[in-house]
Amino acid sequence: MLPHILESAKLFYPELALTIAFCFVILAGLVTRNRIFTGLAGMAGVLAALYFVSVQAPVDGTAFSDMLAVDGFSRFFKIVILAATFIVQLFSLQSAELKSRAMGTAEYNALLTALALGMCLMAGASNMLMMYLALELTSITSYLLAGYTREAEDSAEAALKYVIYGAVASGMMLYGISIVYGLTGALDIYSVNQALGSGQVNLWTLILAGILITVGFGYKISAVPFHFWTPDVYEGAPVTITALLSVASKAAGFAMMIRFFRVTFADLIMGGQETGAWAMLGGFEWNEVLAVLAVLSMTLGNLVALWQNNLKRLLAYSSIAHAGYMLLGVVTMSPEGVSAVMIYFVVYLFMNLGAFYVVMLVADKTGSEEMSAYAGLGQRSPFIGVAMTIFLLSLTGIPPTAGFVGKLYIFSALIGAKMIGLVVIGALNSVVSLYYYVRILKNMFLKDAAPGGAVFGLSVPEVAMLLLLLVPTLLLGLYFGPLVEYAQASVSIFGIPR
Amino acid sequence: METLIDIVKIVTVMGILLGVVAYVVLLERRVAAAIQNRIGPNRVGWQGLLQPLADVVKLVMKEDIVPRNAHRFLHDLAPIISISIAMTTFAVIPFGDSITLFGRTIKLQIADINIGVLYILAMTSLGVYGVTLSGWSSNSKYSLLGGLRSSAQMLSYEISMGLAVIGVIMIAGSLRLDRIVEMQSGWMWNIVLQPIGFITFTVAAFAETNRHPFDLPEAEPELVGGYHTEYSGLKFGLFFLAEYSNMVVASALITTLFLGGWQIPYAAEMGLSGNLLSVLQVGAFCAKVLLLVLFFIIVRWTIPRFRYDQLMSLGWKVMLPLAILNILATGLAILLIG
Amino acid sequence: MTLIDVIFWFFAAVTLGSAAVVVFSRNIIYSAFALLFTFFGVAGFYVLLGADFIAITQLLIYVGGILVLLVFGVMLTNKVVSVDIKSGTLNAGVAMVVVSLTAGTIAGIFYATEWKTAPAEMLQPTTAGELGTMMMTSYLLPFEVASVVLLVALIGAAMVSRRDRSKQEAA
Repeated sequence: MLPHILESAKLFYPELALTIAFCFVILAGLVTRNRIFTGLAGMAGVLAALYFVSVQAPVDGTAFSDMLAVDGFSRFFKIVILAATFIVQLFSLQSAELKSRAMGTAEYNALLTALALGMCLMAGASNMLMMYLALELTSITSYLLAGYTREAEDSAEAALKYVIYGAVASGMMLYGISIVYGLTGALDIYSVNQALGSGQVNLWTLILAGILITVGFGYKISAVPFHFWTPDVYEGAPVTITALLSVASKAAGFAMMIRFFRVTFADLIMGGQETGAWAMLGGFEWNEVLAVLAVLSMTLGNLVALWQNNLKRLLAYSSIAHAGYMLLGVVTMSPEGVSAVMIYFVVYLFMNLGAFYVVMLVADKTGSEEMSAYAGLGQRSPFIGVAMTIFLLSLTGIPPTAGFVGKLYIFSALIGAKMIGLVVIGALNSVVSLYYYVRILKNMFLKDAAPGGAVFGLSVPEVAMLLLLLVPTLLLGLYFGPLVEYAQASVSIFGIPR
Repeated sequence: METLIDIVKIVTVMGILLGVVAYVVLLERRVAAAIQNRIGPNRVGWQGLLQPLADVVKLVMKEDIVPRNAHRFLHDLAPIISISIAMTTFAVIPFGDSITLFGRTIKLQIADINIGVLYILAMTSLGVYGVTLSGWSSNSKYSLLGGLRSSAQMLSYEISMGLAVIGVIMIAGSLRLDRIVEMQSGWMWNIVLQPIGFITFTVAAFAETNRHPFDLPEAEPELVGGYHTEYSGLKFGLFFLAEYSNMVVASALITTLFLGGWQIPYAAEMGLSGNLLSVLQVGAFCAKVLLLVLFFIIVRWTIPRFRYDQLMSLGWKVMLPLAILNILATGLAILLIG
Repeated sequence: MTLIDVIFWFFAAVTLGSAAVVVFSRNIIYSAFALLFTFFGVAGFYVLLGADFIAITQLLIYVGGILVLLVFGVMLTNKVVSVDIKSGTLNAGVAMVVVSLTAGTIAGIFYATEWKTAPAEMLQPTTAGELGTMMMTSYLLPFEVASVVLLVALIGAAMVSRRDRSKQEAA
């Protein structure tokens, strides 16, 4: 056993780096209250983890007695998660909102690394026990971070709502897992798949369990109808955390969900020779359930976003809609669909974090997240205005921005799977989303600044940060070949013959 | 037949335990008197030997007073919980090896469960309820404060107590109490192998039993009688009994875990065997327990009481790290020496 | 009906009955104490299932630790007996229909399902040793991750409950 554990530890370096950084930041917090120092220490941990992920040999395997799959798929999502965490850590160094709280900065930075750890584990978990634990680690850290500025009343409210929804969702998921265990006597998803494949399992019980487990995933990726917490939490939490939740924790949720459906409920060997689509065991088409969720998420997210005046709330609904688009990629149940989701996540990482960064800058300088604070922003600070325009156009999916590429691959995967109806719904939804994104643009460029709306400049780090997010958003819209190739090469999930 | 033997064992052990407890009270009063240069109770019977009996009669005859706003049911329940938990803990303690009567080998232990150590920890952790409930249900500020204090105290020290035992479990490789005793043959008592564990466990045991110097829950100058301020008559008697039973049980536990239980060093060399040895072993066990009880009593009358914050910081900042270090050291020693 | 059956139904009655008191009682202190019996009942089930270690841990952790803290919190709350928990019944009719439908579905499905069970001979006299070995071998990762989860929760609880002293002085 010991050689196996030592062998596994070699595949575990990224997570180990995060764990060490987590412990180090906590201990450092006992000595120093310097938020820059603890912040940098956390960033060093995340960078180290990124390095270890990138140097891992491109071989698929599992670690720690099949608890964790280390494959191209999990590596890709880990990179997305760690990159998002790193960018948010950069945000946190600048955020004025976080400076308002004198105590607990070390805890903040430590919890960020713990969150990254939880999400990386989610991306790789291949045992239902491990999935649940990773989900809990992510959730608990998220609750705490959402309530970090607890002096602000809405932050406390956000944290509380988040806890209650999270507890119910993870309780349901756990119940579902227990039913699957009762049916198959296994927690490891490969063994569960084998047991299900032997055909001795009551289909209705399996469907019940699957739906309960889907509740847990749906909550994590904030898909309708499990989205109720999203607007309030996104509005109340510090902007940095909102940004992280909207990208990284969604990515982790998607990674876990795709792996779960692919490995547990689909035939591992059969299917896929010609179309590449997965064949579901027992004849129950899970993608129909997911399709309903996707359509609901897109439509509701986009329609409700139309009425929002608070930018964080608006972006919350927009993130629900984006979860819907990405779910469409999963609905195809094909490698093309999965790689489209992965491409979408890279694109989404830059454009969504960019939009949240602008919200943070404006909130730090004007003290408001309302639409009115953006009136005349184009004149007051042209650079921010232009940057925000590009991020929003990209979120809509207009060429030549990166968002277009993301949507393009999702829709082409859908067409490849002959799901034309969903393409139409998705396209219509993009049109609707254009309306509220443009509303912000209208406010920025066509409205005059309110009297007293000061002109504000940007510091060098702020410009650098904006450029860091802006350049990929444009570049990936024009030159996306390498990304697409990398994503398509990374769809390999352990245990699935290609 | 098995059931009959079990019943006989239970009745005997409980009877002896209650008798011992009654005389421990007398012992405490006499020792206290000796330390304070007084005489102590010496009128009822020869040297006051019938005093416990008189005390019981007195307590039974007294009126049972329940405060008007008390929660009647819980007020009645609390002392029962306290005493029953103190008694049930004794069920797993081996007080001898085994004895052969009429061709039958009888294990000198009421219940030989294979996770005995955990059972004891679980039972002691339940002991908090009696105290907490009595404090709350009396609806009196002294009781409530006493109840709160003792719950906090017991919870804090339970952790170091549990951790202190882990070293012993690691050495014995078992959670069975009889196995733990068997491992301590000769002079290889756990007090030799686990000195830090012994000290932490003993200190925690003092705190768990709410004995001096940790008897803050009933600190007379501040809280009158603590959680049992509002109790009188038989119910007060039950608390009193529970307190002293806890002391005896704690001594028995320390004996079992650290002082070799019923083991007599060099018994085999002296050519002892059979039933005679068994009887002597039970005697050795009782002697060890009684010495520890005496230790409890002497500590009470010679050491001043802690302040509450001192007690808490001792528990969390000294005992807990010490217990954890002990586990690490034990693990290292087992790894290196084998 | 064997003796085991009788014991099972006894524990089932204790668990469900006390759980009902937890939910329906208007007095929070009764709820807290009813929870005690729920935990006891569950511990009884574990014993019946041959999971001695889990049973005793249930007592040690839930009854002896968590519930004590809960009761503690309740006791510190002022005038706790007189506080009515406001749980007005909203849409009782709809809720009734939904709940009974859900419960019916779940019960029906459960009844119809053939569960995977282990033969009774596989029951070990004690599970503690095997559990320990498993935690250090095949379940090493969940074991370690659980400790990280607990550490995060601990730090978080301290972070949430600690007063921000600098703010207090400024105010």
